[in-house]
Amino acid sequence: MDKEKDHFRAPIADTLRRKSPFEQLIEHMCKVRECIDILGKGLIRYYTGDYKGFSEITKKVSKLEHEADIIKGNLRNHLPTHLFMPVDKGKFLWALREQDAILDHAENLAHMLDMRHTIIPKSIQELFIEHVNLIMKTISAMEEAVVNIRDLVETSFVKREREQTKEYIYKIHELENEADKKKYEMTKEIYKLEKNLKPMDVYHLLKIADWVDDIADHAENVSDWLRAMIAK
Amino acid sequence: MIDPIWLIIGSASVIAFYMAWSIGSNDVANSMATAVGAKAITFKQAVIIAGFLNIIGAVFVGSHVTDTVRKGIVDVNSINIDTQILLIGFVASLLSAAIWVTLSTWKEMPVSTTHSIIGSLMGFGLIAGGVEVVMWGKVSSVIASWILSPLFGCIIAFLVFKIIVKTIFSKEYPVRSARIVGPIIFGFTAFLIVSSLFLKTSLSKNYGFSDFDGILIATVAAIIVVILGIFALRKIKDKGPEDYHTVEGIFRKLQVGTSCYVAFAHGANDVANAIGPVASIIPLAQGIEIGSTVEVPMWLLLLGGMGIAIGCLTWGRRVMRTVGSRITSLTNTRGFSVDFGAATTVLIASKMGLPISTSHTVVGAVIGVGLARGLEAVDLSIIKKIVASWLLTLPIAAGTCIVIFFILRVIFGI
Repeated sequence: MDKEKDHFRAPIADTLRRKSPFEQLIEHMCKVRECIDILGKGLIRYYTGDYKGFSEITKKVSKLEHEADIIKGNLRNHLPTHLFMPVDKGKFLWALREQDAILDHAENLAHMLDMRHTIIPKSIQELFIEHVNLIMKTISAMEEAVVNIRDLVETSFVKREREQTKEYIYKIHELENEADKKKYEMTKEIYKLEKNLKPMDVYHLLKIADWVDDIADHAENVSDWLRAMIAK
Repeated sequence: MIDPIWLIIGSASVIAFYMAWSIGSNDVANSMATAVGAKAITFKQAVIIAGFLNIIGAVFVGSHVTDTVRKGIVDVNSINIDTQILLIGFVASLLSAAIWVTLSTWKEMPVSTTHSIIGSLMGFGLIAGGVEVVMWGKVSSVIASWILSPLFGCIIAFLVFKIIVKTIFSKEYPVRSARIVGPIIFGFTAFLIVSSLFLKTSLSKNYGFSDFDGILIATVAAIIVVILGIFALRKIKDKGPEDYHTVEGIFRKLQVGTSCYVAFAHGANDVANAIGPVASIIPLAQGIEIGSTVEVPMWLLLLGGMGIAIGCLTWGRRVMRTVGSRITSLTNTRGFSVDFGAATTVLIASKMGLPISTSHTVVGAVIGVGLARGLEAVDLSIIKKIVASWLLTLPIAAGTCIVIFFILRVIFGI
């Protein structure tokens, strides 16, 4: 090992880090996107009563969560104290943290659903599927926002790119709002069916509605931190 | 029997060659790494470009800084020191700088060859002739330039990058503006290089060009370069709006030019660190006083330039490859700004006869682009190391030189 050490004076090599933190944020985002894609499709099948293969989906989600954790750890641990970034380091780390929270929620949700196969009553299945679709849309809007940060950095924060990122952020807010409304509708419908369902089923249905919706909440939080991060 | 004087000149030349080799293998990598890191050129191309243009820079523009090193630090015409002491002193300072540079290379400290040689010369001046022999006025201007050059590199790189952002990136079709703005900045580069070649150099003296002629030639050259550049880039089309990738592609081409610029400026400035002391020894050995009339011999500049080139071709390959692969996060527009900022600073300093550190200036330029929110991550801990090396290099190099000076005196019995 020692033999391979090169000896030279190169202050320039220490000034620039090997990997860009934004590149790594996007890498992490890709894991989030992949995870929510798999989970979302799995959820739709789950809602319609097709539980086959859901255990595999749970495993995949766990695996992706773990891979993303490694990226997160790398990113966090290798931001030296003197790192000079075009954005506030604290805000950057908050965005990363919220982005990671999405995966944690997805994992918890998948495991819970896998442990107990809750039957979704026919009358509210449609509503549940619409809700998941909204969540998936929110996440892909979020991906667009995060990827747009790359352009923003490339152009050194020109106004046009900043406006574009902001637009994506508005879109996330809108979608999150819709998802929230959908959740209230779902809750209302669940209460309506209260008398026909077992208490444990009601509990689980409410829990599913809540936890799936949490994903959108965290996506919104990410977008808020991105917004704060790119503010002048 | 060989005249001992020639023995001294010979050995001094060997040490000078070693110094040049060290500069070539390490400092060239510093200055060219941005281009390699941004994938504008491969490390092999970098080595060849650097080798060739360092010689050109050293031979044609290197004499200004060499003059400062050979007679600006120690007052060689002072009556306090006799010729033999002077001879030994210059050899000692060269040896001390060489040792210190080797050591810092081994320990990977961001020490500059420039600082080492100036420190050594000061040490020798102090011990041989006392405080009044060191030309403090010149020395303080040199030291001031060490602080100012990274700052200057930082400001120029910042401005160039801001210009690129304002005129190219903020447009909806950035490629269209890049085709025009790129060559214009590049024309400016050509102007600076050509004017540096023709203003107060041996070249202009030989052909009888006045300063005005020099400026005129440079302007014409710049305009030709701009027109050729726009002509060469006219075929590059954008793939829709916001095509930043193609913009980087344009700057990748332009960066080949700026990396030549860096190599040229580097040769012009750093060659003096190696051959400056030898340039003092030769007239002394021949019994001539170093007045303003004695020119730095061309063969010596060539020797220094060759040394740098050989250093670059041998060890520099490895260094360049390693450093180049470490800094991949640098894109071409950034690399262009860094190169331009650093090279312009170094070239201007070279014309002013100020020996500065190329690598520190490059770091300054990198920080400048970072300040313009152009870089995704700059590690500022290097600044501490650089400041520490500023504070340490002078006394340590001076001390080493004093020790070697006494040893040589004992050996030669003077």
